[in-house]
Amino acid sequence: MENTEKKENISTEQSLKIIAETMERSRMTIAKNSGKPLILWGFLVAVTALVIHLLWTNTNNPAWNLLWFAMAAIGFAATFIISKNREHAPLNEMGRILGKIWMWFGIITTGFYLLIWIAYFIIKYCNYNTDSVIHVNLTLIIVIAMGLCGIISGVVMKMRSIVACCATATFLSALVALLMPGQVLVFVILGIVGLLVPGLILQKKARG
Amino acid sequence: MKGKDKTTEEKSLLFKPLDPILHSELRLAVMSILIGVEEADFVYLKGQTGATSGNLSVQLDKLSSAGYVEIEKSFRGKKPCTLCRMTEKGRNAFAQYVETLKQYIQK
Repeated sequence: MENTEKKENISTEQSLKIIAETMERSRMTIAKNSGKPLILWGFLVAVTALVIHLLWTNTNNPAWNLLWFAMAAIGFAATFIISKNREHAPLNEMGRILGKIWMWFGIITTGFYLLIWIAYFIIKYCNYNTDSVIHVNLTLIIVIAMGLCGIISGVVMKMRSIVACCATATFLSALVALLMPGQVLVFVILGIVGLLVPGLILQKKARG
Repeated sequence: MKGKDKTTEEKSLLFKPLDPILHSELRLAVMSILIGVEEADFVYLKGQTGATSGNLSVQLDKLSSAGYVEIEKSFRGKKPCTLCRMTEKGRNAFAQYVETLKQYIQK
């Protein structure tokens, strides 16, 4: 694009090509920037699930579940470091939508988790009548919410492979959550198939 | 290529002419980037378009003079930073340009 005069006269086909290529490049920059955080969170979720499973079964203490909060703290800190070192790109509509989707996933699941603890303390210390208490499968709720967020992210990025990975991870882990006690396998499936693999796909695509 | 250009010229007689401010490779690339983002700095635009600093400055000035782009010079830390963002007029002009292009391609 160095010779300005020469490039002034372009055909309509060239114009469309420029618009399409520029928009695609911008879309890929965002997709590229999303790859590393997905790999990180996928790894963290799978490893944390395994660690909690080992500690819980060995000590018989469900309080090890609080390690999920430690995982979230490590994840946010590492995501911040990754974002500092990544290729500079302005925030576009797709990036903003993806950010909002995962921010709300974090808020809803953390809020729901806290609500469960609040309900637990009310039942335990306030002599609450447990006849009206509904038992919910928290793991299943998180699985469905996380899977949906992943699928929506894939749709927004127009990447069918990510939609397929997240849909597979959601169905598989939801089935495991319904049939098997515990949560280790559920989150290992979600972490690897729903986050880590899509992250690797994005990284590979970004490298061309 | 010449045949294609001639076709475009012929079509321009039949349809609404394409906006000359946007009908340039670099200016169109800049507008295509800015349409999807809130704002972009000069370094990013340079990297995405592959243009030289001088050429990009000239084309940004043209877009700014037409009222399609707002340019804000500031500092990021101690480094100077030129931020560009598309105006409402620019957004409308780009939409109109794409609409006209569609007519050219369809007929």
